[in-house]
Amino acid sequence: MLARHSLKLPRLTNMCASFCTATAEAAAEPLYNRPKLAPTDYRTGETNTDLHSKVHEAKFYTIAPEIKKQLFSGGGLPRQYEQQVKTFTETCLMVRPAGLELINYIRNTDFKRPAIRYVLYGDNGVGKTLIMAHALHYGLQNNFVLVHVPWVPNWMKRPKETANAAQEGFIDLPFDAAAWLVHFKTQNTNLLTKLQLKTSKDYVWSKREATPAGSTLLELVEHGIARIKFASETIAALLSELKQHASEDKCKVMVAIDGFNAFFHPETRVFGDHKQRITPDRITLTQPFLDITNYNWTNGVCILTVDKIGMTEGFMESYMPRYLLGKEGFEHLDPFVPVRVDNYSDKEFASCVQYYLDRNWIQKTPEGFDEQLKYLSNKNPYTLMQLTRSL
Amino acid sequence: MAVALRFGSNFLKNNINYVQNICRITDSYTAQIQASRNFGTEVTVKAAPLAVKKQKVSQAMKAYLERARENDEFMKTQKLEYQIGKRHLANMMGEDPETFTQEDIDNAIEYLFPSGLFDKRARPLMKSPEEVFPARKAAEFDETGRPFHSMFYTGRPNFFKLLYDIVEEMNNLNDLEERMLRRGTRADPNQKVDFTGFQWLTKDQLEAILVEQINDLEYTNFTNAMDRLVSLPFSYKSRDFINKFAKPLLDQTKQLEIPKPQFDAEGRQFVTTYECLRKTARGDVTVRLPGTGKITINGQDITYFEELQSREQVLFPLIFAEMLGKVDIEANVEGGGPSGQAGAIRWGIAMSLRSFVDQEMVESMRLAGLLQRDYRRRERKKYGQEGARRKYTWKKR
Repeated sequence: MLARHSLKLPRLTNMCASFCTATAEAAAEPLYNRPKLAPTDYRTGETNTDLHSKVHEAKFYTIAPEIKKQLFSGGGLPRQYEQQVKTFTETCLMVRPAGLELINYIRNTDFKRPAIRYVLYGDNGVGKTLIMAHALHYGLQNNFVLVHVPWVPNWMKRPKETANAAQEGFIDLPFDAAAWLVHFKTQNTNLLTKLQLKTSKDYVWSKREATPAGSTLLELVEHGIARIKFASETIAALLSELKQHASEDKCKVMVAIDGFNAFFHPETRVFGDHKQRITPDRITLTQPFLDITNYNWTNGVCILTVDKIGMTEGFMESYMPRYLLGKEGFEHLDPFVPVRVDNYSDKEFASCVQYYLDRNWIQKTPEGFDEQLKYLSNKNPYTLMQLTRSL
Repeated sequence: MAVALRFGSNFLKNNINYVQNICRITDSYTAQIQASRNFGTEVTVKAAPLAVKKQKVSQAMKAYLERARENDEFMKTQKLEYQIGKRHLANMMGEDPETFTQEDIDNAIEYLFPSGLFDKRARPLMKSPEEVFPARKAAEFDETGRPFHSMFYTGRPNFFKLLYDIVEEMNNLNDLEERMLRRGTRADPNQKVDFTGFQWLTKDQLEAILVEQINDLEYTNFTNAMDRLVSLPFSYKSRDFINKFAKPLLDQTKQLEIPKPQFDAEGRQFVTTYECLRKTARGDVTVRLPGTGKITINGQDITYFEELQSREQVLFPLIFAEMLGKVDIEANVEGGGPSGQAGAIRWGIAMSLRSFVDQEMVESMRLAGLLQRDYRRRERKKYGQEGARRKYTWKKR
């Protein structure tokens, strides 16, 4: 509908003029005949997530490219958002109320107590993953060891390769496990070299290969990456070591798992013996991550999202945690802190539109276009992103 | 003779009569001769003295009288049958026959003989015989066969009389104009006949007035003559004459009555439109005036429609009337698919919004087609074809 509205003549001429003149000048000129917010109204220079508060709500803050590379090179941002980031040549995250709430909870946590589980839930495209990204950035800045799984359903739905595990009846996902180890390494190398955490016991992989007690966790990870066959077991070892170290107050651990409900899906697309679909608990990767989301350790925080699109057809009626996790999953997490993620508020919506205008992402601005966008998208961030692609 | 032939084969036998009548009028002497010649009995009768003249009813008149009598009788029996039928019908329906109106008859017929025929004229009906049988022209000549009308022999006396009248009016107006000019006054431009929003009677309507069949060319002549009359500067002097043949173009929005908003418990104005139809979807839409733009469709928000096209359909009347964010919408819709449901809601919103916008906006909404119900339905598949229109791929063999 927006595209079909003809632009008004003065604006058209204005746009033509801006094409003719140098881009810098054009940017300085008032391109749109509407009250424009100052950049400070929708952007904030505060990159320290610890200092984010109500003042910064609905504003965009920028993540430095090297930090983005460290945090999200192995996934963690939705693909289409990643594309937009590339187009905008900057990684900007909005400070959402749900994100602030979550960070505020973590900030005020008593880490002597058992790990608290936070479950982000909400409808499709409301920004659960990006709020998790915000929390991850907080974790990085506050020296948490990050145990981040970008998207669990990838393992259950699109495994790169499957192999029979050493344990009878279990399936290994060696490539996926190794990829996760690489991701873990890129996120945590700096911190782990500083902390110098040592393994507490010997790990014997085969007759000739073993990781002796007292070697660093980084060595353990590197072995897993080098010997893909043992990647899954390495993950199990790594996570139990991390849990132990955290309980001994040597480090703080932030577990962030996106699409956590995939661990409790009735079936996967992984085929076992006799071409039978297997359940997620028969995958060797499942158990370590369920262990680390248990409450029997301290100095940790778990941020989990439950997502409708993590499920398959027939299991997508509701986005509520109880429905998505099922009885088993719900009982595994109980008690947890639910954090509801909603569509944009009016303020957030206005700020997002301003950001898009600032990035010249929206170039057609007929009268009342923002109102139309608001009602058409129902203030859903993802729908807004899709709608503005063609504007 | 050629003139007489126009009356058709029935009258042929009277031709001699006419000719002789004419002869009698023009030259009684010839008649005398004819009479003396004793060609036929009739002729001798016509030439007879006044005492026998009352027998001289022309053959045409006789035939006409006969037909008129038959027609009267026919109509009488028809009327009687209609009255009896009406009473029977009223009894069948358990109503009082005395107060049974034509509307009741129509309803009863529709109830008793439900018809799936598309064309309304093809469905069963029971109407008063005056409406069913067309009116006949009264006799156009006296008992002696002499026409009343001076233009009788044109074949369409009423029509040509009308043309003459128009010219008469024009001549009068021209004379008037000349006189006025001589006196130095001009026509009042304020009083000029404004023909916008009017049109001439259609051919059918004109034929009904004239009780004569005219062809297309003649109708064009009529409209041209009327146009010329209207274009004269003093045409307002013969406004009455013009109005007899002009009818106003219907203004749709004035015809449709706009419902008055009601007030709900919170004191907000609201209008509910029931029977919002599109394809096989049907629903009802409530619009509440001081609102925040909240849209509720079957208890959900606008995400009820996953497709953007459908969302746009719902929002379009609001955007068009610039009421986005000013009213609340509640819609219940069932049946059909998303696009049908969205179309039904769109129509419902547009119809309800009429109560909250000014007349000008209503008119522009009508012109935009927002108030027009979309009657299109799915077209059936045809046998021997792949779909409604598409044929199977042609293969040589």
